[in-house]
Amino acid sequence: MENKDKKYWRSPGQLKDSPEYRQQLLDEYMTEHSEDPNQFSRRSFLRIMGASMALAGLAGCRRPVEKIIPYVKQAEEVIPGVPQYYATTMPFGNSAYGLIVESHEGRPTKIEGNPAHPSSLGASNLFMQAAILNLYDPDRSSKVFHKGKEKKFDEFITFYKELFDKLRNEKGEKLAVLSESFTSPTLSRIKKDFEKAFPNAKWIAYEPISDENRLLALENLTGKKVQPVYHYDKADIIVSFDADFVQSESDSITAAKGFGAGRKITSPDDKMNRLYVIESGYSLTGASADHRLRLQSNNIGQFVLSLAKVLNQRGYNLTELSSNATIDFNKEWLEAIAGDLQGNQGRSLIVAGRNQPQWVHEAVYLINEALGSFGKTITFTEMDDSLSSSLDDLKALKDNLEQGQIETLIIVGGNPVYNAPIDLDFDKLITKTKSTIHLSEHFDETSSKCDWHIPRAHFLESWGDARAVDGTPSIVQPLISPLQNGISDVEFYSLISAGENKRGYEAVRATWGKLIKGDFETGWKKVLHDGLLENSSSKSITPTLNNSRMTEPVAAQVRSDRLEVVFRSAHLYDGRFANNGWLQELPDPVTKLVWDNAAVMNVKTADAYNLQNGDIVELAVSGRKLETPVWIVPGYAENSIGLGLGYGRKKTGRIADNIGFNTYLLRSSGNMYLSGDVEIIKTDKKYKMSNTQDHNRMEGRPIFRETSLAEYRRNPEFAREMVEHPPLKSIYPDYDYSKGYQWGMVIDLNTCIGCGICTLACQSENNIPIVGKEQVGNGREMHWMRNDRYFAGDDNDPSLVVMPVTCQHCVNAPCEQVCPVAATSHDEEGINTMTYNRCIGTRYCSNNCPYKVRKFNFFNYTKDMPEIVKMAQNPDVTVRSRGVMEKCTFCIQRINRVKRTAKKENRTVYDGELQAACQQACPIDAIKFGNINDPESVVAKAKKIDRNYELLAELNIQPRNSYLAKIRNLNAQLNKD
Amino acid sequence: MAQIFPKWTNNLPLIISFIGVVVAICVVGSIWYFASPWYTDVGYQPSQPVEYSHKVHAGDLGIDCRYCHNYVETSQHANIPPTQTCMNCHTIVNANSEKMLPVLESWATNQPIEWIRVHKLPDYAYFDHSAHLDAGVGCFSCHGNVTKMEKITQVQPLSMSWCLACHRDPAEHIRPHEEITNMSWIASSTQRERAQKIIDEKNISPPTNCSGCHR
Repeated sequence: MENKDKKYWRSPGQLKDSPEYRQQLLDEYMTEHSEDPNQFSRRSFLRIMGASMALAGLAGCRRPVEKIIPYVKQAEEVIPGVPQYYATTMPFGNSAYGLIVESHEGRPTKIEGNPAHPSSLGASNLFMQAAILNLYDPDRSSKVFHKGKEKKFDEFITFYKELFDKLRNEKGEKLAVLSESFTSPTLSRIKKDFEKAFPNAKWIAYEPISDENRLLALENLTGKKVQPVYHYDKADIIVSFDADFVQSESDSITAAKGFGAGRKITSPDDKMNRLYVIESGYSLTGASADHRLRLQSNNIGQFVLSLAKVLNQRGYNLTELSSNATIDFNKEWLEAIAGDLQGNQGRSLIVAGRNQPQWVHEAVYLINEALGSFGKTITFTEMDDSLSSSLDDLKALKDNLEQGQIETLIIVGGNPVYNAPIDLDFDKLITKTKSTIHLSEHFDETSSKCDWHIPRAHFLESWGDARAVDGTPSIVQPLISPLQNGISDVEFYSLISAGENKRGYEAVRATWGKLIKGDFETGWKKVLHDGLLENSSSKSITPTLNNSRMTEPVAAQVRSDRLEVVFRSAHLYDGRFANNGWLQELPDPVTKLVWDNAAVMNVKTADAYNLQNGDIVELAVSGRKLETPVWIVPGYAENSIGLGLGYGRKKTGRIADNIGFNTYLLRSSGNMYLSGDVEIIKTDKKYKMSNTQDHNRMEGRPIFRETSLAEYRRNPEFAREMVEHPPLKSIYPDYDYSKGYQWGMVIDLNTCIGCGICTLACQSENNIPIVGKEQVGNGREMHWMRNDRYFAGDDNDPSLVVMPVTCQHCVNAPCEQVCPVAATSHDEEGINTMTYNRCIGTRYCSNNCPYKVRKFNFFNYTKDMPEIVKMAQNPDVTVRSRGVMEKCTFCIQRINRVKRTAKKENRTVYDGELQAACQQACPIDAIKFGNINDPESVVAKAKKIDRNYELLAELNIQPRNSYLAKIRNLNAQLNKD
Repeated sequence: MAQIFPKWTNNLPLIISFIGVVVAICVVGSIWYFASPWYTDVGYQPSQPVEYSHKVHAGDLGIDCRYCHNYVETSQHANIPPTQTCMNCHTIVNANSEKMLPVLESWATNQPIEWIRVHKLPDYAYFDHSAHLDAGVGCFSCHGNVTKMEKITQVQPLSMSWCLACHRDPAEHIRPHEEITNMSWIASSTQRERAQKIIDEKNISPPTNCSGCHR
């Protein structure tokens, strides 16, 4: 791969150098002036202030009286000013992520992964970081409602107890429970009680996004319910069929960590794994791939069969599968993959995405078994205490409801009116019962159709438990009493199963009495401390697959001009995070859209229908229609349209409502993830979207550096040699930075997957406000850390790279040299600091910053923040006001904390004691941070790696951050350039 | 033609410039003093909801500061004691005193006492009590002689230049650790040498850059 002349570009507009793009280049913050559209104008503000200043006059000079309110009785373990950390768990469908939550005086403020937990391993995913904001969501429901009238929870209990006796006498004949899926010892125990009390009742689970196809495939082939556990770290060859395993599939943290482990090379002699991705959309897994093939999702199954055929020819026993292969795909690709798989027997892993149908998963497992991956790169555990989503059960429930066989329907969590398949007509079905009860966090679409609505507690307010994917039981413990009078899942399940209002704590303890071996109280305390039961993962089993039970493959669609739509979950998951401003404002890693979803397609498809960004089209899927805007992303498969789920909410809250388009309206039970029955009609309407892909440009310079593994081995110094410059000399005298702590950062682009968790973790740690769609459109997003996404190559099949960029903490910082008031200056530890109270908002610094990492508060974004949201703010970081510049501080509050601790203990800070927020959350350990003056530190060692380069080093600004260039492990068979 | 201006007006420019200089000096001087924390903050002595006397407790009775402000060595805040701390003694001592009413009320109703903050730093300045105590800066250096105060009064300006003066040259304020709460400790003539020994021993290097206190 020749990289010196490789051109990187961010949008088709830039590639074509379109007039719109040229215009955008001119102005960093666009042309909008700084009037807040929702407030009165600056001029009228000044006029009114002038008058009141005259009145307030001298009184304004008085110092405001501030109160200090101590406890009456001090809680023993609370020390005001010293945060506490508790271990708990975030249950998420059939998965569970262990957390360590930071709490200030009883107020949880920051979530981190629990290093001891097998599913989080100390890192986070987007939903974990964002969950803290959900806790303080002011739009959460806080009241019990009965047919639109406010009631007390006790009234519901009285109502339910009466109903309970009646239902029990009928043995639950006309009772159905529709819950979310779970893997929890306590919930499973309570469900058994339920089945005892109501032997004829139905209890089903539905999740709009689930691993159902994968689990059904395994159940069909093995005859029992088993959960696959993937070991990406043990795989040298990984083949992904439409599986975005580093980001949107279940248990993405362990997958990303494992994948990254195989790519951490420190010298040219190191081995590196190889990833093939065959996909229709452009996922982050596709971006990380060494080789990526664009293929419609509908045809991927046939590609799997063709691969089986080639492997069969190479001597693997896959006769059954290969007999079904009907299309001849790109021979070179198939031979290349097959060759690699054969050469790495037992060290390969093939995964299919959750949007692929059951038969494709079956084919993939059969190939994995034939390649000897079972027990090595894939292990299995039996699914204990779990209930998973079932579409068939939901359809059966529909029939029952239609025939009037259900009188009482209890919906626990979930929002079926919004997200059940549209052909089930759930909003009408729900009215065919005598009474419906809905437990949910918001008074949402489903709640408004139900008789009873009960507010649900957040997991940080609840007692509960969950099993990690490997079976390890982990505890959910509350950090705060329910803020909005919510009822926890465990309490609600106990109530409906036994008619008793039992405390969650007792229910959970009752379950754990059986799980904990030895003395209970000692064991229980240890569990509460660790967050999980040590050494308790389920026994792994190696099932044998019965290939005669394989589901009939669906014939391929050879015509590639036929459109398909693929439903994908992104930042809002299934819509449950729709009222979360952080997730709404986090740019999609590939489309870079914020606060919106769109019909995403590639350039050719858009050209074929004469579409441009923002054109509204009418999509018809199996006759159901939806108007949605178009967004063009190079690199999608031809005629494949991606649709994001979770938008277009109507009754959730101030953030979620009327944002984006509800694509569930096109999703029916026959095509939950894919549909080939699509028509597209252009309308003459336009829609304005906010997109960050062209913001913060660092034009035309070799920003991103990558090469192939072979080229790297030929020239390990390639990254540094990409830029030639004369000897660098500064006109400023040198300062001696050789003493004490010298903070620095290294970001490994070879492992970074671009998920954006660093951005979210930074936002949570540093009190970064959200600014809304319109302001992002003006280039005023406040994220201190952003992920730049570049395409390279032609706009039909480009490669994609992602690069996290934050303040580079230049030693010769250009921002400092132009600040007229010395509000930004250097400290002796090499940090480019920002003193907010000095800043007068000239924005010279931002203008002079070559990286465009300085962010300006155009408005006082926190002024109108509801009190409850303020509780999520980190007390150790200043909340900035209007007119102030801000940027990455290297988490100075964390640095100061560890430095003070070390000083009190009369020692120095040891390596690893300090983690920046972005570094701690990163699932793939791509970010290294620490004292570069300590030659033994991880970061100092990383800076010595030959791939290390500094961004725009030729400007002689001496950035403290540096990057490790990306290496692609190309297969010589496929790389003919 | 008679002259319009009498002769003495020849001196007018001189007089005006003289008055101008005096006025300017007065204006600058008064802003310098009256707008500085030495005038605006020093001497601030609000009335507290409880007529609590530091003079009685810390002075006459000699109770150590850390009996009530017990987390001062572990936390950034020198905590205001919970009502419970008062009740440790006052269930027995002076339990019926009228001055005790707000405390008893707080104790009975479980409503906290709302004390008025005397020593206030701006929100963007982060100060850590524990770090200063650990270095050997006595309570006296910032809070004055509390044992003599009926009502707590601010005695130092708590301004940035005042902070920096000590951060640049802490020797005057560093004392042996066992003396930090001692209000009547007198620095000896060898204070600077003794302090330097502690500074070297504990490797005390107070930050003077922005990031030391602002984040």
